Amino acid sequence: MKGGAKVVVEPHRHEGVFIARGKEDALCTLNSSPGKAVYGEKLISVEAPPSEDGTTSKIEYRVWNPFRSKLAAAILGGVDGIHIVPGAKVLYLGAAAGTTVSHVADIVGPSGCVYAVEFAHRPGRDLINMAKSRTNVIPIIEDARHPLKYRMLVGMVDTVFADVAQPDQARIVALNSHYFLKNGGHCVISIKASCVDSTASPEAVFAQEVSKLKTENFKPKEQVTLEPYERDHAVVIALYRPPKKSKSKD
Amino acid sequence: MSFFVLYESASGYALLEVMEAEEVGSLLEEVQQAVLDPQRFCRTVKLKGFQPFTTAENALENVNAISEQIVTDDLKNFLEMNLPKVKKSKSASFQLGCIEPGLASAIQDRLGFPCRSDETVKEIIRGIRVHFHRFVKELDGGVGEKAQLGLGHSYSRAKVKMNPARSDNMII
Repeated sequence: MKGGAKVVVEPHRHEGVFIARGKEDALCTLNSSPGKAVYGEKLISVEAPPSEDGTTSKIEYRVWNPFRSKLAAAILGGVDGIHIVPGAKVLYLGAAAGTTVSHVADIVGPSGCVYAVEFAHRPGRDLINMAKSRTNVIPIIEDARHPLKYRMLVGMVDTVFADVAQPDQARIVALNSHYFLKNGGHCVISIKASCVDSTASPEAVFAQEVSKLKTENFKPKEQVTLEPYERDHAVVIALYRPPKKSKSKD
Repeated sequence: MSFFVLYESASGYALLEVMEAEEVGSLLEEVQQAVLDPQRFCRTVKLKGFQPFTTAENALENVNAISEQIVTDDLKNFLEMNLPKVKKSKSASFQLGCIEPGLASAIQDRLGFPCRSDETVKEIIRGIRVHFHRFVKELDGGVGEKAQLGLGHSYSRAKVKMNPARSDNMII
């Protein structure tokens, strides 16, 4: 992030996410382990507002690259709500090496937590190392297809985020949600059309995945494509076990 | 006929007695409300016993066994201590609910307790997962998450280390 002292950091519409305004604008999150970058991303340090006794301190942010993170791309794509907010508990399926997980951990902060599930061992090692310096990340090296295997490690969560790039992704999300997602919680799914069905048109694949979610007691809320950051990708957000609208105001 | 459920947490095993369970229509709005309301839920489900793991090694041993559907000696002792005694001549007067069908049959084979694992058990365990810190007061205020954090790290580290080839297990 060039621009030196000129950089000003403003809160984003989504709580816990920030925008750094410099020569170019960049999405960023508050670094919960200051001084350390997780995957070589840029760090931005700005003066904090002076405290009551007049001492100044620095606050550090990490730049969040939408080309590397589908969640960041969805935010820049103008998604209405990511349902990942300070204090939230998130089940993250397909954590990979933990690059996006580290930003999610920054957003939920010390009062929230992220259960990061990854099956492959090689990125899993990086994930565990990242989690060492972030105590709100609980690394789980296990197959997301078998949520019962890690049932002892996971509590009830507010949001399930999935980026597993598997043909049966909707089923995997539903399976996990039945055990761990609270009523009225949300799932945020990143869908790569070619991973589900490489012959159908992307729009048809997205519609098909949404209809699968509907049969599993999800109510689709919104869908954004990740252009220009990813091709033929969409993020779908759905509400799980929506509360019935019975009493008018209560 | 009494009905118990086994709940495995990162901190230890818990046995809860279900006073009344809705066998059908567990997704109905009213039943869901009863599960979500802590007071109503704590009235229908009562904690019978809780056994915390003694050490981190002990917890790791149990989580590994549970994920492979194996009954450990800890679990065996815990269940035998807290469930009503079964007389040899008569069949047991209770049922044990277990979320994992594989573990349910393992318990049934090894200990002879009649087990069940169905949608009702699943919904009750969902409720317990929401309210667990209310049943075991020691786990309130983030202590439960601490246990999950520690256990998650040791479970995952063991998994990664166990692969001597240091290569990915690809899904085919």
